[in-house]
Amino acid sequence: MSTFQQRRRLRDLTVSVPKGDVDLVSGQHSSHWTIFLAANAIPIVATLALVWLATVILAVVNYFVPLNFVPLVYMLPVVLAATQWGIVPGLIAAFTGAAVADFFFYPPLYSFWLENPQDIVDLLLYLLVATVTSNLAARLRKETVVVSRREKEITELHAFSQSLATCLTDRDLIFAVQDYLSNTLRYRTVLLATAQDGSEADADGTAVPAVVRREAVKLMAANDPHASTIVERGNRSTWLVRVITPQILGYGAIAAELGDSPGERAAAVAQRVDQLLEEATVTLKHLKVKEAIEEATINYRTEILRDALVGGVSHELRTPLASILGCCSVLEEMPAIRNDPRSHALVEAIHDQAGELDNEIRDLLDATRISAKGVRPQLMWTDPTDIVSAVLKQKERRLASHWVTLDLARDVPLVRVDAVLVEQALGQLLENAAKYSLVGSEIKISSRCEQDQVVFSVKDQGSGLTVGEKEQLGKRSFRGHRHSVAAASPGSGLGLWIASTFIAANGGSVHAESAGPNLGTTISLRLPATVPDTPQRVDAIND
Amino acid sequence: MTKVLVIDDEAQIRRFLRAGFELHGYTVLEAENAAAGLMAATMKPIDLIILDLNLPDLEGSEVLERIRSWSNVPMIVLSIYSDEQEKVRLLRLGADDYVVKPFGISELLARSEAALRRHLRSTNRDPVVRAGPLSIDLVSRMVTLQGNRVQLTRKEYTLLHALAAHVGLVVTHQHLIKEIWGSHDGNIQYLRILVRKLRQKVEIDPMHPTLIVSESGVGYRLDRGGKGALDSRRGVSSAYCA
Repeated sequence: MSTFQQRRRLRDLTVSVPKGDVDLVSGQHSSHWTIFLAANAIPIVATLALVWLATVILAVVNYFVPLNFVPLVYMLPVVLAATQWGIVPGLIAAFTGAAVADFFFYPPLYSFWLENPQDIVDLLLYLLVATVTSNLAARLRKETVVVSRREKEITELHAFSQSLATCLTDRDLIFAVQDYLSNTLRYRTVLLATAQDGSEADADGTAVPAVVRREAVKLMAANDPHASTIVERGNRSTWLVRVITPQILGYGAIAAELGDSPGERAAAVAQRVDQLLEEATVTLKHLKVKEAIEEATINYRTEILRDALVGGVSHELRTPLASILGCCSVLEEMPAIRNDPRSHALVEAIHDQAGELDNEIRDLLDATRISAKGVRPQLMWTDPTDIVSAVLKQKERRLASHWVTLDLARDVPLVRVDAVLVEQALGQLLENAAKYSLVGSEIKISSRCEQDQVVFSVKDQGSGLTVGEKEQLGKRSFRGHRHSVAAASPGSGLGLWIASTFIAANGGSVHAESAGPNLGTTISLRLPATVPDTPQRVDAIND
Repeated sequence: MTKVLVIDDEAQIRRFLRAGFELHGYTVLEAENAAAGLMAATMKPIDLIILDLNLPDLEGSEVLERIRSWSNVPMIVLSIYSDEQEKVRLLRLGADDYVVKPFGISELLARSEAALRRHLRSTNRDPVVRAGPLSIDLVSRMVTLQGNRVQLTRKEYTLLHALAAHVGLVVTHQHLIKEIWGSHDGNIQYLRILVRKLRQKVEIDPMHPTLIVSESGVGYRLDRGGKGALDSRRGVSSAYCA
């Protein structure tokens, strides 16, 4: 069921406006007194019932124990009536209570006459206190009603602003405003553009009748900022059409479908439409909707462009590179190449450089994706040993000219991480270690458990870091001293930033240590460790 | 001679695959789109299919499903994206294995040979699976490492058996969990711990596993060669602390 269909079921909840107001449809006046009684009949009857109840209770108690605080008991109906229904029922309760107390409980009984001057003072004092209390209670009630109405309005405005936040186009905005008006007004409401062809469908796909549109165009042409009209369509639904100023994004009129028996509701609806439009206009102005829409549209288009770029780069650049790398792998296996050291060295050089280029493109794609959408890790229990093994396999070719040593602790617990991201991060550290240290030098990979963390470290004997570089390391596009001194140091400087982002997404952190330039670097990845084995788990693994 | 059908719209990729496969004694047939690929797979006797996922006329996974609906031919999927969930989906659809571009021809050949062997074993019913120094007799349930008998618990053997049945090919975590614990009782954490225990018994160096290899986010593979990344490099030493 659509939102609008749900709303249609609610539309019979009428807006309570005194019926004595000027009626747009008939233009007749009604008697204030009659209308007042009609509107307050139930509260008055209920108030009298409360007074009667208090009298019965008093009579019963008085029968057994003679009472001398009768007026005090009549304060209860006064307070209840005033807080529930307002000052008039409160005053009715006060005076009725005084009369009934006089009649039933003050001598001479069953007469409104008072023989004791003390009793006259008692009742006058009661009337004074009851009137003041009734007034205060009625005010309290009024304020409570106002507060609860404000709360409701704020809730509706909040929902409205949330729906505005998701708007990407002017059209979305118009639908959001229509939804807001329909919800608040409890009638289906449609905004009509300044120039309409009479055929455009509403947000929920149902068309606004052509006659309603024609009337709206006529009203807008009349140039009267407060013009409104009722469009009766025989035994079909009746519409209220009203000009709105200032226009909302080129929409100059509003039409509310009042159902098939609008009666006197049209007056109330017209008044409510005025209020709501004023509020909506202010809200739209405050929310800077137009600007927000433009910004959202630009962001949306940028995102589409970025996705197209990422997709294009991914396919158009990486596919030819995949061919080059594949061809190299075949050439390296061909006997003619394998047996000719010079040719083999050339093929290897092509292979290495193409691999380097592919890594750089992958870094750029990763950086673009991180910037656009952030990192969403898919956490899974993983054995740290598997992470190290996988990375060594991936970087086999890159590390071939270095002396790699492993120092892996046996007691490292499982970690709950996105293994692919952690492998990429550790791979970046190994790439950098190979890139910024001399061929044949040692690269040491270690893993250990420290308190509640699993730590992977990569230690090289390369160009090291200065204190300033240590602080800058991991920032996007960082290029420091070691980039300029390393023999082969192409690259965007994105690697460590990507590694840091991937590790942070897994709840960990990256730390760099270096005794100084040319004294090597140790970079560590720290990840949160897992809980110890439970007996249940041991049972599940053993037979 | 083994016939390989390569379905890929990139002419350069087809060219190097042809060169690589022919270098190793295979006969290569090429198809530049899904329609031609499906036609070739239907009309000609094919031993192995290499299928690119990014085809111009039909999704690669759709081609995979269609071929699987009538044929048990080994299929290796190529993809430029390395999304783990997609890999698991393809394996579930019936791919024998996947290779992410860029890749070396030796990697693809290793996967292809594993897929062909598995296909052959399912017809030949050869009960003994060998992976490096490890030997698993699937009938007598005897496991030996460098000729010495290895005692495994029931769950450890079930795990090794599931991997050995697909030696050289990736087996998804979910498949292994289902084999060992049934559909609901196990989870990935138990599987990781069980793999650790199994590695203690069947790997020469459990901290540097070369036989039971993890495929991140997807599953495990029993590596036929049993040769790790470090072994093939010069100048590698390992030191472990307890």
